[in-house]
Amino acid sequence: MADTKIDQTPKPPPPHAGEGRGGGDQSSLAQGITITRTPRHGIEGDLLTVNFGPQHPSTHGVLRLVVDLDGETIRRVKPVIGYLHTGIEKQMEALRWQQGVVITDRHDYLSPPINNLAYALAVEQLMGVEAPARAQGLRVIMCELTRIASHLIWLGTSGIELGAMGIFMYCLRDREKIMDLNEEISGFRMHTSYIRPGGVTADATPRFLELLDRFIREMPSNIDQYEDLLTHNPIFQERTQGVGHLSAEDAIRLGATGPMIRGSGLPWDLRKDRPYCGYETYDWEVAVEAGCDCYARYLVRIKELRESVRILRQALDRLPTGPVNVDDRKMLPPPREELETSMEAVIHHFKLFTEGYSPPTGDVYVAVESGRGENGCYIVSDGTHKPRRVKFRSASFGNLQALEHMSLGHILADFIAIIGTADTVLGDCDR
Amino acid sequence: MTTSVLPDDTVLASGVLAGQEWVTIRREDLRDSMRALKAQGFESYLFMTCVDHLATPVVEKPPERFELVYQLRDMRAHREYRVRVFIPENDATAPSLHDIYAPANWDERETWDMFGIAFEGHPDLIRILMPDDWVGHPLRRDFPVGGEPVDFSEDHETWQTAPPEA
Repeated sequence: MADTKIDQTPKPPPPHAGEGRGGGDQSSLAQGITITRTPRHGIEGDLLTVNFGPQHPSTHGVLRLVVDLDGETIRRVKPVIGYLHTGIEKQMEALRWQQGVVITDRHDYLSPPINNLAYALAVEQLMGVEAPARAQGLRVIMCELTRIASHLIWLGTSGIELGAMGIFMYCLRDREKIMDLNEEISGFRMHTSYIRPGGVTADATPRFLELLDRFIREMPSNIDQYEDLLTHNPIFQERTQGVGHLSAEDAIRLGATGPMIRGSGLPWDLRKDRPYCGYETYDWEVAVEAGCDCYARYLVRIKELRESVRILRQALDRLPTGPVNVDDRKMLPPPREELETSMEAVIHHFKLFTEGYSPPTGDVYVAVESGRGENGCYIVSDGTHKPRRVKFRSASFGNLQALEHMSLGHILADFIAIIGTADTVLGDCDR
Repeated sequence: MTTSVLPDDTVLASGVLAGQEWVTIRREDLRDSMRALKAQGFESYLFMTCVDHLATPVVEKPPERFELVYQLRDMRAHREYRVRVFIPENDATAPSLHDIYAPANWDERETWDMFGIAFEGHPDLIRILMPDDWVGHPLRRDFPVGGEPVDFSEDHETWQTAPPEA
């Protein structure tokens, strides 16, 4: 903020200056920052209202934050969201149950398989089916790979925001390998739509297993590299230690989940506490740090990277053999070769792709642990082939509400670190 | 295992579906019941949303058009609880819970934005996801899945008109 200069010439307010309600003169600055002098009086004189975003580089998407400053000290934060709202829940209602999987990829665009999983588990629970053992193993593999990819993006971008430019390249280098793995198993690099109700779209190829094995062997030393760059870096520690304090009680009260509460010393992880996909059978530990600050949340994510690698190793070593989809012709299409010989298979195929399937009436809520916290899916079926309601409980939506509590009393420069460690994905938040 | 956590006279219906406990209560009991649940350990508020039962094909029709669903969690006892409240269409209001559960603040704004349920006592009930000048509440079932017919025409008049087959 050192090079910003307040232009005092009065200008007409922009048409949608939502926060301009308080009056005062507005002026535009470079980089999309608008500054309004509010006539209210702060603790030590006038409060200055600064508008962050929505196109600010450190807002991790299209987030707008209206910040009231007293000097450089933050006195009030008001997140303004909705810039990435894409009507995902409305679209889900217009699609058949099996088509909705493709939409679930797109709300938290950094962890598509985890979103798929929440939806698939909800539909399966409503229909009373369970995916076969090999599908469960592949689901765990894909979810842990995605968690690593998501944490790597977070680590890289947060590093850049705090001035550590180098780490971004290391993170992206390793994320690229995960993208290759996605491509190998599903054909898509980002929006894989890999996990679907009843199983997964395709079995793992030998090349996938080979690449995965190499990835697991390389990853621990790569994580050491990230730690060499940041963990004991005095500048990084100075910027994050003691910044953005969030106690465990406040985290629960404000609806924060995931690394936010684990960084406050609360060992709550849905994979451990409400296990799904057989997570209870793997040997791993919940990453917890008691620091309650940005540095603790950083350490939690680094530990989670290591634990994910540990789960991946076990999942790969004992990946069961067998089918990857439930043997239910009412839910999943028959194999291609059956279509040439079996009339029954043709009928099932036709019914499935024209009408789809209809789960019984009812509603169910399933929550899974994404890289950001609790990503849940609440579905309501009215017994037809399209959902009556699909609601995503997104971790970013909850975590963002704790932002004001964490940043009050800090200076504006620390605010960047706090936004960073909240790790919000705005597509997830706005859905 | 299912123990009633709310007094019997407030519970209209209750059950367990797919292993998940739920209970239906009256709208006027909502604040007291939620306070009681929070005192009993359901400190973690997961989400609140609305379901629009307009023209539902379900045989056992829901009593009213709108249904508010609150999902709570007791993190110590590893227990989840779902509270349902039915809201009539001609009086689409509900008491706000923002002072009992802080995350309800944004959820209520979202439900107002998407379903047009007004929450009494909410400090700042404005749209959260849709633009401020949007007309209508998009997640209502009678709001068509429409779209802008021409890509980025910026033609605000036609934004909300759906194609006739929608």
